[in-house]
Amino acid sequence: MSARYGMVIDLDRCTGCGSCMVACAAENNVPPATSRATPRTGLTPMLVRKVSNGADGAAKREVFIPISCMHCGNETPCVSVCPQQAVEVDKATGIVMQMPQRCLGCRYCMVACPYHARYFNWWDPAWPAGMEKSLNPGVAVRMRGVVEKCNLCHARLHSAMEKAAANRKKEIDPADYIPACVEACPTGAILFGNLADKNDGVFSAAHSPDAFRLLARLGTEPKVYYKSGQAWVRALAERDSERAKESEHV
Amino acid sequence: MSELLVVDRRWIARGAERSSTTRFLLWLVPWVALLALGIYAAGLCLYYGLNQTNMDNRFAFGMWIFLDLAIIAMGAGAFFTGFLVYILKQADLKPILNSAVVLGFICYSGAVAVLMVDVGQPLRAWFTFWYPNTHSMLTEVTFCITCYLFVLILEYIPVLLRNRQLRKVPSFLVFEHQLHHLVPVLAALGAFLSFFHQGSLGGLYGVLRGRPFAFRQGFAIWPSTFFLFILSAIAVGPSFLILVTAAAEKLTGQKLVQPGVFRKLGLISGLLLGVYVAAKAIDTLIWLNITSRAVGFAPWDFYSYKPFGSALLFLEIVPLGLLPAFLLTVPLTAKKRGWLLCGAALACGGILLNRFVLTVQTLALPTLAFDEFLKYIPSWQEVASFAGVIAYGVIVYSLSYRYLPMFGRVKGADTNVSVG
Amino acid sequence: MFPWVDGFHWSVGHIVFLSLFFAVVLTILSTLLSAVWRTASDFRTHRATDMCWQMNFAELPETERRCRHQLAGRVLSRICDNAFDCRHCLKYAEFAALPVKTPSKNVGIGYSNQLLYHRGHTWVRPESDGNLTVGLDELAHHLIGRPDSVELPVKGSEIESNGIGWRMRKNGHEIRVRAPIDGTVVSTGGDEEGWYLKIRPRLPLDLRHLLREAEVPGWLSSELDRLQLQLSASKSQPCLADGGTLMPELMDALPAADWDTVLEATFLEV
Repeated sequence: MSARYGMVIDLDRCTGCGSCMVACAAENNVPPATSRATPRTGLTPMLVRKVSNGADGAAKREVFIPISCMHCGNETPCVSVCPQQAVEVDKATGIVMQMPQRCLGCRYCMVACPYHARYFNWWDPAWPAGMEKSLNPGVAVRMRGVVEKCNLCHARLHSAMEKAAANRKKEIDPADYIPACVEACPTGAILFGNLADKNDGVFSAAHSPDAFRLLARLGTEPKVYYKSGQAWVRALAERDSERAKESEHV
Repeated sequence: MSELLVVDRRWIARGAERSSTTRFLLWLVPWVALLALGIYAAGLCLYYGLNQTNMDNRFAFGMWIFLDLAIIAMGAGAFFTGFLVYILKQADLKPILNSAVVLGFICYSGAVAVLMVDVGQPLRAWFTFWYPNTHSMLTEVTFCITCYLFVLILEYIPVLLRNRQLRKVPSFLVFEHQLHHLVPVLAALGAFLSFFHQGSLGGLYGVLRGRPFAFRQGFAIWPSTFFLFILSAIAVGPSFLILVTAAAEKLTGQKLVQPGVFRKLGLISGLLLGVYVAAKAIDTLIWLNITSRAVGFAPWDFYSYKPFGSALLFLEIVPLGLLPAFLLTVPLTAKKRGWLLCGAALACGGILLNRFVLTVQTLALPTLAFDEFLKYIPSWQEVASFAGVIAYGVIVYSLSYRYLPMFGRVKGADTNVSVG
Repeated sequence: MFPWVDGFHWSVGHIVFLSLFFAVVLTILSTLLSAVWRTASDFRTHRATDMCWQMNFAELPETERRCRHQLAGRVLSRICDNAFDCRHCLKYAEFAALPVKTPSKNVGIGYSNQLLYHRGHTWVRPESDGNLTVGLDELAHHLIGRPDSVELPVKGSEIESNGIGWRMRKNGHEIRVRAPIDGTVVSTGGDEEGWYLKIRPRLPLDLRHLLREAEVPGWLSSELDRLQLQLSASKSQPCLADGGTLMPELMDALPAADWDTVLEATFLEV
């Protein structure tokens, strides 16, 4: 299999409810924030940003932009900078894999990522008594001092592959592999699939005229696309002209 | 107590003028206290984790990385002086070579110590050696700095073994002699390693496609910051050496080197600084007008946030670049100690600013169009850790000065300790 | 990565990087090992003692490196450039032929015309059986007095010229006395016997580097001048001495003096 898994997120459908963030945290065993954590020291592999067009009154427009790892396909910034190859691009799936067990915690990848999609474990993970029962057994818990990020719910891909192998199939059933954020979104704003497969819905969505990518001119070839009919959103994302005056985290 | 004084005196070279034991201990006390505080702060970070600092996901690199880069640039005086003496045969710089080695040792060991606290999992440091990523500048930095630290230790050992008491052990003295013979090899090796890691530290930022403020084009795999960092390091190394030696002369009340040594170091520093400023100016123009525009970043996008306005760029190039280059080379000012020191201090300031801009400003600036400009103030643990490193440096330098032959015979001075 | 680690694949980058790295590591290691190896071989081939002496001699102050011929009044001023090894000095024959100008006064310390003196304040007396007796000279005796302990080399061991002959301890100071000649220790004496070592010398016997007869007073006189300066109570100027003899047991008589400096200068240590 040589897939290129990616997503197309319809910004005109995203309501900013944050279900994707919660589902991601639950799926990936993200520990609850300590009392001293701030928005800048939190662990949010999926993060929904609220962005405004900067106008006032009736002209004001806002949009919610969910940001996760873009799984950059070309000269992936984080892969080339990691001193001990704790990140690599999986050739079979196009997923940028982070290995927390090998991570030294130097944070160079965090500096390199233009999308700020990488998060550091500033604290030892700790769950209140009893809450450890909610941990997902398929995903390893990370330790303090390492970097983590979205890995497109690779554990679910793994389960899909095991299921296919058990059924003596070579390819996985796409319906078996759906990342947690995609599954949780109530408006179906996130479309997930194999960008290398022309028959996959995500392929045509990514190539539609409304689709764009963040900071496309940097040339990192992210595999997360966004879709919006609003021109100001597109201009903002590609960073061609004016900038938003405010932004907030959800 | 008098026993202690006699024993202490025994370790100081015969005939060398050093302050009394009591006075020396009094001098050490505040530095030891600062070092203890630094160790405590570092201990907190190692025990509780990096949440003890004010770094966060957006400011993943903070004060420590900035100061590490600065300290390694200043420590370039060690390899560069060795290069000048052994490879370019500038024998009149020989008297300052030992102290340059000690200073280099202090800078690099301090930087490595801080780096061990800065990473999230210090015990995994060996992973870089086992799984090196040949595409990463940080791998290159790690390898080179580790090797170079060993080279510095090997260069420091002969100085250590010429201590009055240690040299009485025959095997130490003979070993020192044999190691001393091989110092030109170490000097060449040090120059080679330093060339690469000083450059790679610049390369760390120059390759960041995702940070247009830092990203530069260059030659083959090396961005222009690679070469600019080497140039700035060899420019500032001699200046830092001048400053530290002048401070040592002031504190000890002794003439440690001939004035000609200061002037020569100043001249070399000034000339290199001039070349660096010219190269940087060209690089800045290319970066602002070609490189950044190609990815949609307008040049003054980088400078519209207070306090990081374009004045900072001007400051780096003119008052802290051209001006010290001028002060250090032009005989009118270079001949006068006061102006020379002023030039050296400005040069160091310029390089400090350059490292700061590249580490802190890069992270403060937004990349995504809807990001904000961020602020970061280091926590007391970060400041204390680094203050501890400075204290460590002062202690090692003081001990080395007191008990080891750091400087050669100066005509007119009464010491009878010589450099081998 | 190393070839045996899982996931490794060769690339130009790997070859260049790893070969450079290993070249550097090898150079560092071989430098260190070479120094260690050469040190060991220096000891094995008995060059170590001479090397230590050469290095120490080079760092003695000029006033302690005066040529014996200057002290003997044969030449006006000369600093030894041969580590006191007159046996291999090109100028020795030329200078030795010149007349000695001895000081007319009594130097203030005893010496004997029958003994040969080493600059490290030991004397050598050739015996009829071809062996040499080695002892401590009067000046050193007057400084030290009765040593608290003496550590002599064992019978049969080798001593090397300018290496450490024997050690003594006095008032908490360790005195390392330099051996005046090369040879094997035949028997040992002590403070009471008046001699310390009987040596079977290494042949061919060459004692040219030892001071004798008329050369000795000039040397002793300069040594006493040095002692006067070094044993002064404070940083006062040297006083005009009008003769007199050196007091015995000076280490006991002047406990407050800087004995580390005095002893190192007397016994040719840095």
